[in-house]
Amino acid sequence: MTDMTAPAAPADAPRKGSLLEQDARTKRRNAAEKRFEVYGIIAVGIGVLALIALLTSILVNGLGAFQQTFLNVEVEFAEDRLDKNGNRDPADLAKVSTFGYKPLIEGALIATVDRLGLRPDGMSDGDIGAMVSNEAAAQLRNRVLADPDVIGTTHTVRILANARIDGYLKDRVDRASAELDGNVTPQQLELTDRLQAAGVLDKAFNWDFITAPDASENRPEASGLGVAILGSLYMMLVVLCLALPIGVAASIYLEEFAPKNRWTDLIEVNISNLAAVPSIVFGILGLAIFINFAGLPQSAPIVGGLVLTLMTLPTIIIATRASLKSVPPSIREAALGVGASKMQTVFHHVLPLAAPGILTGTIIGLAQALGETAPLLLIGMVAFVREYPDAPPEGFFDPASALPVQVYNWTQRADPAFVERASGAIIVLLIFLVAMNALAVFLRRRFERRW
Amino acid sequence: MNDMRLIDRATDMTDVKIAARGVQVFYGDTHAIKDVDVDIQDKTVTAFIGPSGCGKSTFLRCLNRMNDTIDSARVEGDIRIDGEDIYDRRVDPVQLRAKVGMVFQKPNPFPKSIYDNVAYGPKIHGLAKNRTDLDDIVERSLRRAALWDEAKDRLQEPGTGLSGGQQQRLCIARAVATEPEVLLMDEPCSALDPIATSQVEELIDELRANYSVVIVTHSMQQAARVSQKTAFFHLGNLVEYGETGQIFTNPQDSRTESYITGRIG
Repeated sequence: MTDMTAPAAPADAPRKGSLLEQDARTKRRNAAEKRFEVYGIIAVGIGVLALIALLTSILVNGLGAFQQTFLNVEVEFAEDRLDKNGNRDPADLAKVSTFGYKPLIEGALIATVDRLGLRPDGMSDGDIGAMVSNEAAAQLRNRVLADPDVIGTTHTVRILANARIDGYLKDRVDRASAELDGNVTPQQLELTDRLQAAGVLDKAFNWDFITAPDASENRPEASGLGVAILGSLYMMLVVLCLALPIGVAASIYLEEFAPKNRWTDLIEVNISNLAAVPSIVFGILGLAIFINFAGLPQSAPIVGGLVLTLMTLPTIIIATRASLKSVPPSIREAALGVGASKMQTVFHHVLPLAAPGILTGTIIGLAQALGETAPLLLIGMVAFVREYPDAPPEGFFDPASALPVQVYNWTQRADPAFVERASGAIIVLLIFLVAMNALAVFLRRRFERRW
Repeated sequence: MNDMRLIDRATDMTDVKIAARGVQVFYGDTHAIKDVDVDIQDKTVTAFIGPSGCGKSTFLRCLNRMNDTIDSARVEGDIRIDGEDIYDRRVDPVQLRAKVGMVFQKPNPFPKSIYDNVAYGPKIHGLAKNRTDLDDIVERSLRRAALWDEAKDRLQEPGTGLSGGQQQRLCIARAVATEPEVLLMDEPCSALDPIATSQVEELIDELRANYSVVIVTHSMQQAARVSQKTAFFHLGNLVEYGETGQIFTNPQDSRTESYITGRIG
């Protein structure tokens, strides 16, 4: 043994541990990571499920609205009833109200049923006639007024069936519920089956749902979205024409020209605040200023458009400023460096680069405005409007409805057929929204420039 | 670096292009440039060197009033180009910048075609009467920037599609297209590889024939290679200004010596 011998390193000194097995700490960290991943998947799953549930319920309820039950009956346009004087004078023809037409249609249907021998035992003429929609008489009358020559001839016409008969074909009404329903009898449903088998009655795509105006409480089968779609379109035009230039001009000024001081800070904060203001507040403002103070007409797309413009402006300003900010400062310096003025810099270089972002923001803002209901309720857009508004610009001042308001309106009505209509209207609204968002995505992809 | 060459490289031009007297720059409360006096000569490459944050870029940006675009920046003192005070009320910075072109640190071509990049300046300043004129200007500028041969077949392709060195030469072409008298370059090679750097440096040397070039650089070798005059900035002060050869071989100030020998900075 010598003093020189250094104590040998103990052979069993603990190593740091094998790389092949995880230590407790690593295991805990990996487990936490796994858990977080699971939370994320659950969160996404809930979202997707909610979306699927929503879409299914809307589609199940609403797709029926695009189809309608029609009766094909041979109607004799009897001269003795429709034009007693026989001179085809439009003024005389107009004197015959829908009550004059109703017996014609009902008679024609009864005759058809009897000719084919389809009448169930003991079913009265009145019950058969009641299967026709109240709207049918008006359809016929419009046809005669448009073309008086049909008087005296016999034509096969396609008329709307009553909402309950329509509901039977869409499984909304069945024989058990018909027993309890004062508006429909099981015999009528029996006859419906027989008429369908005979080819007199059929279900087909209903363009009128998209183009026709709204109809009254007791004729849901005739109601359509025409006025609402036009009204929404007019409002979007107003919003686009006002909000885009005002919003873009305001953002360019604030972002590129305005000095950074207490005033611009204040304005900036307030624009953000404005974006968070509940939309119904804008409705009250519109009522107070545009209708009560400025004296604009109620229910007019111009007022709706102005209110929605106020509501959309903050969205557009915020989106525009964000996209102006995202243009690299080197581009501004480059332009200023070759002697471009501030305005040339903005309009030649910054704005084209920011355009995709601005367009996207504008379209998102428009989509938001399209779906907005609350402010429109306060400015009278809930009114029942059957007249189409005129072509713009006069049409901006005519009463009109709007898509979301039409949905709201229909859900308020008693007849279950309107629930189907409301869901159908939601489908139309969603199609518009999806189309607008798709356009936004497309524009962004198309015009995005990289540098 | 060839010392003999450096010493021989005295400038024969003595015309003063830019004269700065008592220039002070403040960013808010920060005093960025302290009392700088400098005379920049015509048809000469003048290099500004110094450690980061010493104010050389700030001073460069005073020369074409690019500091005007920064709200908090304030410039005092007197800067004259050809005897005219560029901070005079009557001077429009837009006109000034057409006369004093600038090339930036990061190549920043517009996301447009190569042609439009070069043609933009002449267009907004109305230098071309017609399309042929404009074509001539574009060709001349690209030739001056030694980019014509590489770019002539792809003038309509985006300038952003060029390589880094080509982009920087495109920016130089864009700057010379407006027929400036002074060309300011803010670290034009810091984003480039050595080959692109040497191309740009050769170019700078050629540009000296027509312009007064002021270049800010971090690289002392670059300053020595391309410039005839060198100014050393430190903490906002102009420490020393003189012939490049003299600054690099026989600095008068101990700070300059410390910097060029690598002890500070």
